[in-house]
Amino acid sequence: MNSRWPLRLTVAISTAVAALVLVVALFNTKLDAPTVALGLLLLVGVLLRSKVGPVKAVLDHVVCIALLLLSGPAATVVVAVLLPLTQDRRLPLMRRVFNGAQAVLCAAAAGFVFVRTGGVRGDAVLDAPGQATVSGFAAIVTWLSVNAALMCMVLWLDRGGTSPLTFLRKVAVPTVLPMTGYGLLGVLLAVVWIGGLGIVAMFLVVVPLVVARWVLSLYEAERNAQAATMRAFIQVIETKDLYTRGHSERVSAGVGMLGRHLQLNEDRQLALEHAGLLHDVGKVGVPTRIIQKPGRLDDTEMDAIRLHPARGVELIGNIPFLEEVKSAVLHHHEKYDGTGYPAGLAAENIPYFARIIGIVDAFDCLTSTRSYRPARGVEETLQILLQDRYTHFDPQLVDAFVEVIRQDGWRAAATDQPAPDGSVRATIDHDDLSLGTAGGASGSAAGPDA
Amino acid sequence: MATAEGADMRRLGSGIVVVVAGGILGIIGLALTVRRGITEWPYAVTFGVLVAIGEMLQFRLDRTRNRAPIATSAALGYVLLRPPEVSISPDVAQVIAVTGLATLAGVLPRMVAGLRWDLVVSSRRMLSVAAAAAVFAAVTPSDLYWDTTWTSAISLTGAMLLAVLTAAAMDALVGAGQATEKFNQPFPAALRDETVVATRIGMAMAISGVLLAIGTSLLGLWGPPLVAIPLFLTQFAFRRFASAQRTYRTTVRSMARSTEIAGFSSPGQNARTAQLAVALGYDLGLTPARMEALEYAALLSGVGQLALADPSPGGASLLRTREERQRAAAIGASVIERSGVLDHVAEIVRHSNDPYRQGRANNSDIPIESGIVNVALAYEQLVGEGTGQSPDKAMESIGLGIGAEYDPVVVESLRRVIGRGFRF
Repeated sequence: MNSRWPLRLTVAISTAVAALVLVVALFNTKLDAPTVALGLLLLVGVLLRSKVGPVKAVLDHVVCIALLLLSGPAATVVVAVLLPLTQDRRLPLMRRVFNGAQAVLCAAAAGFVFVRTGGVRGDAVLDAPGQATVSGFAAIVTWLSVNAALMCMVLWLDRGGTSPLTFLRKVAVPTVLPMTGYGLLGVLLAVVWIGGLGIVAMFLVVVPLVVARWVLSLYEAERNAQAATMRAFIQVIETKDLYTRGHSERVSAGVGMLGRHLQLNEDRQLALEHAGLLHDVGKVGVPTRIIQKPGRLDDTEMDAIRLHPARGVELIGNIPFLEEVKSAVLHHHEKYDGTGYPAGLAAENIPYFARIIGIVDAFDCLTSTRSYRPARGVEETLQILLQDRYTHFDPQLVDAFVEVIRQDGWRAAATDQPAPDGSVRATIDHDDLSLGTAGGASGSAAGPDA
Repeated sequence: MATAEGADMRRLGSGIVVVVAGGILGIIGLALTVRRGITEWPYAVTFGVLVAIGEMLQFRLDRTRNRAPIATSAALGYVLLRPPEVSISPDVAQVIAVTGLATLAGVLPRMVAGLRWDLVVSSRRMLSVAAAAAVFAAVTPSDLYWDTTWTSAISLTGAMLLAVLTAAAMDALVGAGQATEKFNQPFPAALRDETVVATRIGMAMAISGVLLAIGTSLLGLWGPPLVAIPLFLTQFAFRRFASAQRTYRTTVRSMARSTEIAGFSSPGQNARTAQLAVALGYDLGLTPARMEALEYAALLSGVGQLALADPSPGGASLLRTREERQRAAAIGASVIERSGVLDHVAEIVRHSNDPYRQGRANNSDIPIESGIVNVALAYEQLVGEGTGQSPDKAMESIGLGIGAEYDPVVVESLRRVIGRGFRF
């Protein structure tokens, strides 16, 4: 509790300063048409809110920049205080108060820079278009900088889930370009308004924003459809074997945990999760009678199993994934000492993603129930992985994985699993077989207790 | 996709007409402009560059054609320029000349780089831009300009909207004509699809063009970046969406191929069935959304078999009992349903093996797409690679099942499609 007082103090100070600025602004504002109309537009902007957050922020931003050119800094500050009203009501009160103060301070700073750089307003904009554009641009940049600085300060004081660096990397940097670019529409809105169209300008300039929102939501929908379809696809393939059900999704979750620990960038993180999900798709090409055959497999049957990575690549080869996804699917059964399949690659020659998936694949297999043996405990399995460093797995990645699991835990795979059942006709899982004879996992590959 | 491109090759018929019309228009415009001399060349260059860049960055959003929204917006923006900043608005001939040259300048690098380019789409833009220019010139008095009064601003905006509306209508008409020819879609259905596109993407491009024109008329060369930069950002988002869409489509196709790898169907069988189903869907005038579901359903109609124990020899599911096929369809539908995003596809697959008499004849809830997939599967079984009957013979045996096994409407459509020369 005590550790939160610097945060509270900061919020209190910013709110006080913002309130002071607001009072000064109120005395300098006259309620003209742009102020009223754009203020209303901001409130209506709630309707534009969607899961794709940035667009809402863009609208606020555009409206405030336009007001700066139409009615001046004071009116902008007054309207900016409306912003938190349009925010999600479920946010805690302190956040909403601070957001209001933040908006006022951003508007005040942007207004200050706008005036200092010689920004003009009203009809003068058309006489000095270059000046108006440049000052408008400076105001946009100021707004974004002050906003980011305040956010970083609060996150730093809060010491909560997100660090300022994460915020800068994940939120500020990717959005700075779109926010600056779309901010120019604010300047345009003001120009079109002054050019004689008045309030009609609002309806014209909102169109590009609505389109931007539409595109973002289309993209999100497509991404979700993609993920959902791949999961359904995997489930079809897993219908062949009761006991491996859910394996691919768990591996995907596991490699996701490890990937975040290794701080992959967003694209590679997603690619790794896809690769984890799809690593066994090639099993669809292995005849069901081999997958369901009881007891040990003979050599030709093992050969059929060994084909599944290649079958997997054949199947997903056309999907424009990163190349790493395909190489991971192909090589996820390689071993660190070079005794795996299909290529017998060793050590660093095994693709990075394949080494990651190999570890999580083995881990999930050992912690899951098979018809011929019960599930192992998490700690016991981690010991097995640690013993098999250098023979099967990349030692550094194993260490990282063990650390992640010990830290974050593993959602018990065993919850909705069938109990081991000697009467079920099932073969020894190929992932069990991939753990060789030398390491600690050999016991698990001994097959049904005969 | 293969269907559309195959059709592209075979029937460039109306495309040639559009390209020739656009070309002639361009040459006349160029000749007139050269004789009279160009007015306000900084604006001509700026908008020309925008059109060229837009053309260079064209991308394929849906399966039918490439799009270059920035090029269209920039060309329309150039059409609608008025004083005060632009002292003389460009006349119709100059608009056509600038758009034409810029288009060529944008397409050339794509040709050199071996990227996909489409002169027909570019020529369509020439035609609609010329129409917009003619209308705008006709309805705007020469003394009407941006004098910051409400009356002239509102009349200018009205004239602009009329002009871009003309361009959109022109483009929709030409587009519908082309779709009718290319995909054998009924003209009203094609016009409906084109109008839907025009009210969404078309409106966005048109309003962007209007804003570009207003901004430039009022601010001079400070105007174009204010609109163009947001436009580029949106186009970037669009391209990202288009690539996500491609990934998704190939994922569904790969999912369909899993039955081939598992030995339940012969290589290419799903793709051939889908190709025929799409041709039938066009012939029956389905909307684009339903066409997409139909294609996926035809591709995925066999996934239920993966849950069955042994592959059938040669993948010929006609050889199985009806109960088995219906069970496989039900399993497939429940699997597809599990994805949560393909419910309509699941519905089609569920009934894709129901005979007409026990299905659609008495239950209007079953979509016609199920009947289409049913007929496409049967025809592919008879004619596809393995068995290789002649189309006439296959048509005859399918005709025997009309009304009992197969939906009469779909069989009639199949007769038309085969009669027009459809081959796998």
